[in-house]
Amino acid sequence: MSPRKRGKGLVRPYVVTEGRAHPTRNTFDLVTLVIASTDLPLTGLNPEKRRLMELCRGGALSVAEIAGHLALPVSVTKVLLADLVDSGHVTTRAPIPPAQRHDARILEELLDGLRSLS
Amino acid sequence: MTEHIPEAVFWCLSAGLLAVLVLLARQRNVTGNLRRQVLSLEGAVRARDAEAHHLNAVRLPALADVLRHKPATVPGPLDGRLADTGFGHSLEGVVQQFSEAMRTAQARADQSAQGALKGAMRALQSLANEQQVTISEMQERHDDPEVLRDLLQIDHTNSQFGRRAQAIAVLCGSWPGRQRAASSLSDVVRGATSRIRDYRRVVVHGHTDAAVVSQAVEPVVLAVAELLDNAARHSEPNTTVEVQVQPTHNGTAIVIDDAGVGMNDEEIRQATAVLSGARAVDVTRLGDPPQFGLPVAGVLAARYGFRVSVDTQSPYGGVRAVVFLPTNLLTRIGDDAAVPERTRPAAAMPPAAPAPAPGPPRDGTGPPPPRRPPRPRPRRPPRPRPGARPGRRHRTAGRPPRTTLHHRRRPAQAPPPGRRTRGGVPRTTRTTRTGRRSGPPTCREHRLRHGRLAARYPLGPLRDRVGRRRNQA
Repeated sequence: MSPRKRGKGLVRPYVVTEGRAHPTRNTFDLVTLVIASTDLPLTGLNPEKRRLMELCRGGALSVAEIAGHLALPVSVTKVLLADLVDSGHVTTRAPIPPAQRHDARILEELLDGLRSLS
Repeated sequence: MTEHIPEAVFWCLSAGLLAVLVLLARQRNVTGNLRRQVLSLEGAVRARDAEAHHLNAVRLPALADVLRHKPATVPGPLDGRLADTGFGHSLEGVVQQFSEAMRTAQARADQSAQGALKGAMRALQSLANEQQVTISEMQERHDDPEVLRDLLQIDHTNSQFGRRAQAIAVLCGSWPGRQRAASSLSDVVRGATSRIRDYRRVVVHGHTDAAVVSQAVEPVVLAVAELLDNAARHSEPNTTVEVQVQPTHNGTAIVIDDAGVGMNDEEIRQATAVLSGARAVDVTRLGDPPQFGLPVAGVLAARYGFRVSVDTQSPYGGVRAVVFLPTNLLTRIGDDAAVPERTRPAAAMPPAAPAPAPGPPRDGTGPPPPRRPPRPRPRRPPRPRPGARPGRRHRTAGRPPRTTLHHRRRPAQAPPPGRRTRGGVPRTTRTTRTGRRSGPPTCREHRLRHGRLAARYPLGPLRDRVGRRRNQA
């Protein structure tokens, strides 16, 4: 369990976002991939943004994964990400487009598989 | 013979007269003595009257004031000569009994008031905590910024509400109420910030790797929150409250500067007395409106062994409050987090677990979280279920996982069924991180790893997709 998760509830989300609920841009999806730029210094960022940058420096991470690692709500993570995109710390990439519609046979198999798992 | 009669009468008369004169003189003496005695007794009675009146009208009210912690001095008896008399002793007895009775009654009243307050505040505290959990869950669930904005406001108000209840409970002798894990000092300060009204005005500077030990987190957070609240309350709304975390030789200091009105010498003296924790704080006598901040900080400091002082002037003209945490209240989160790793049996580790590569230099918001190597999970054989069709299940179970299908799927969204963490993010992401640290992290590898993981739980993404379609329908 990460330190942030163990201290969950101590720092409230409104302190993390400084009271803002609206991201400065509305371009994030749960699966938007976030890539950190490595050449910008982390000074002036709050601890959550620093952790976010550290997480993303290893490679691309989706918004949902970042939110999970930071133990923050996804909507709060989006506010942070929008700030970081504005300051140039991270760039985003659209997710890989979904595949074609499944046929009924696959869905049946899926149901069976689910039953066998549970 | 008869000529002697008048002589005899004369002598008799003169003897009688003499006797009368003597008696008169004696009587006069006696009367004088009695008059003097009466006068002195009258004076003594008057003095006792005055003394009793003085006791009733001046001494006992003054004593009552002193016992109620009001500024007053108890005068002594009017007449010092009465002190050695039985009357004086009786009066002293009355004074003593009065003060004892008052102390007892007061102690009983305080105790019952504290007990009632403590119980009420505990109930409020648990309600506030419950509400906070609910709000947190709602924040996780709702993605709409408008909803989030309202939730953040409710959350903020709820945090302040919880802090107030907590402060009163602490003054009533209760413990701060929440057990927390050891937290970094920056989290502690920001946690305190999140409990005050003007949290946007607080600016935190400085940085240290130190963390506060588990049992002291909540007390320190509460004390710092009260000091921050005082600082923000007693300064202009357009000024900032500066917090500096300063490592020192034998501990760490949290310095809170405000640009407010400051305190005069008398206020500083009183505040120092309150913060020393030497005097028991009475929750029923905190002024009107009650001032909780410093008494709470003082009580917590005395109970948990840190120091709070407000006797310095801030460079911005206001008050500088310093919370000094000695070394025994500090720890490092890395040490704390390493404990479960050490206690885990080595046999449980897969031999191919990659050694954690040294990560990028951390700036210390927290040491790296403990990484778990991916453990192979044996697949359970499918349980026979009454409603299921056996033939189809058999066909699915016997088929190898369709990995090609999952390579086409979105890689990051592969939550295996039944393996979601509380944050709604699959636990497999942790292993993703672990794996990433062992090799050159490229986007392609990242996807491949996700693909592999997804292959272990073949139906995860499909289920997700189907669920979403159903919702859309």
